Amino acid sequence: MTAHLTDLRRDVEDFLYREAKMLDEQRYDEWLALFTADVRYWMPITETREVRQPRDHVPGEWALMEEDSRFLAKRMERLAGGLAHSEQPRSRTRRFISNVLVTPGPDDDLVAESNFIVFQSRRANSEQFFVGSRRDRILTSAEGWKIAERTVLLDHRVLPRAISIFF
Amino acid sequence: MTSISERPVDAAAAGLHDLVKPDEGVVSRTVFIDEAIYRTELDRIFTKTWLFIGHESQLRAPGDYLTNFMGEDPVIATRGADGGIRVMLNSCAHRGMAVCTTDAGTSKFFRCPYHGWTYSNNGDLIGVPRADTVYNGELDKSRLGLKAVPRVEIYKGFIFANWDEDAIPLVDYLGADQLWYLDLAFEAPLGGLEVIGPTMKFRIKANWKLAAENFAGDDYHVLYTHGSAFQIGFLPDYDLLADYIANFDHGHGMGDISKPGRAYQNDVGMAQFLGPEAIEYVAAVRERLQARVSPLQAEMHGLGEGNIFPNLSWIKFGVFHVFGLFQWHPKGPGEMEVWQTAFFDSGAPQSIKDFARTQMSQENAAAGIFGQDDGENFEQITESARGFVSQTRDFNYAMGLGHEGEIQEEGYPGRLGPHFSEQNHRNFYRYWLELMTTPGEQK
Repeated sequence: MTAHLTDLRRDVEDFLYREAKMLDEQRYDEWLALFTADVRYWMPITETREVRQPRDHVPGEWALMEEDSRFLAKRMERLAGGLAHSEQPRSRTRRFISNVLVTPGPDDDLVAESNFIVFQSRRANSEQFFVGSRRDRILTSAEGWKIAERTVLLDHRVLPRAISIFF
Repeated sequence: MTSISERPVDAAAAGLHDLVKPDEGVVSRTVFIDEAIYRTELDRIFTKTWLFIGHESQLRAPGDYLTNFMGEDPVIATRGADGGIRVMLNSCAHRGMAVCTTDAGTSKFFRCPYHGWTYSNNGDLIGVPRADTVYNGELDKSRLGLKAVPRVEIYKGFIFANWDEDAIPLVDYLGADQLWYLDLAFEAPLGGLEVIGPTMKFRIKANWKLAAENFAGDDYHVLYTHGSAFQIGFLPDYDLLADYIANFDHGHGMGDISKPGRAYQNDVGMAQFLGPEAIEYVAAVRERLQARVSPLQAEMHGLGEGNIFPNLSWIKFGVFHVFGLFQWHPKGPGEMEVWQTAFFDSGAPQSIKDFARTQMSQENAAAGIFGQDDGENFEQITESARGFVSQTRDFNYAMGLGHEGEIQEEGYPGRLGPHFSEQNHRNFYRYWLELMTTPGEQK
């Protein structure tokens, strides 16, 4: 691997770690600012299929999340409003990001693939892990990096709990 | 000294009639956590009622199959070479292994991973490795097929099954009054309803009945549980959305029923916001409804949400809303697995399909802003049933008691009630009690 790519991966890791820290510390306004205005945030449903009959995630089928920046902002507004009972009080979360791979794009952009484990602890003893991978397209302009596309693939067929946190 | 106990805690000693008193608006917390009552539910409710299995659009071609649950029993539904749909227990007749471990697919046969016993997709045992030698040719394969669910019936594409051979027909169980409303969801689509993606699945550590009774017509909770949706402008003023709830025989109930014309006006308003294609779509659906259902049904235009007893809930507001099904699969008294399937009009313009699909994900789904808050409530209510003293304090379902039957809307079938009433909960538990106190023969 060239020195350039190693440096780039370090920068991407740094970006993703800082993003994870924002979410763990519930700094949602800062987190929202990481996305472009026309971001496509997609978390499709994972299925269990026969080995010989694999089925890809199909864009246009209904998904766990299929958001634009407007609704991501609405979700943050909801959390701030005091009536979002599923996060009132807030969950404690801890995100672990790893296996980062970077593919530079043709322009000022790149594709970052990563794995995650997110621990969620709610109220007294409601605890679960969410495990999966992400594929982000990141615009790397001089004014600051922005996520233009995010695909989240959860490895769970049956989610341990309804989702009230972000990936 | 007065006892803090209003009722003895000993559930085993108390009869179900002491625990559940629908006519007094009282249900003991015990029925939400007791293991013996739960086992009785699996027998007397889940083997006696019509349970949702899937939709014909999921089994289009011979060989297509899907898996589901009936109570805690795993089942496979298949479309056979003859085109017929069958539902059978997903459990090898030899030693019980699941013979199918995937969500859906296409196969002419199912082979048990343990010893390789093989079943055709109509459930017949067609292959037993070395049967001639290890069983001395004496194995009667004809008696060792997958156990078939004896009754399978379809209403407008929706497949239901029932373990009770003597069950009344599906349409009678659903009932003409309830179908008068539900038919709006089935008749409005220009191209028919189709499944729009995989089934969404998640767990809630709560008793299944809490979700079922909620959808049966607990519109009262929307005001506060879903207060955040109003706060961020996701929903209009709730009083502008709907007027009534209604319940039906066999424990079914629904909420968010609107007066004639209201739902159509809401859709017209939404269409103006969405654009010309949406305006045309509302007009096309209205025309179709006027041709296919009664004038009053067409005027009613939109539905609401409801629960088909025991554990199949549905949601369907105006024409821009998907038809969503929720199965609250019981997983022990204190846990359920939610299976959510979404349907939409195959004949709608792509822009409307896109809107309806994303709106449902954001609204009433695993990561939607409604679903997560409901789950939180159901979990904490179930937890509240475990305390010793807590258990002496019955849950209260008294809203509207003594005022049932006071609401009428000319031509609307079912037992109507005001938007905020617990009459539908009482109806749910009345039928629950009837089934739970009716002994059946062992399956």
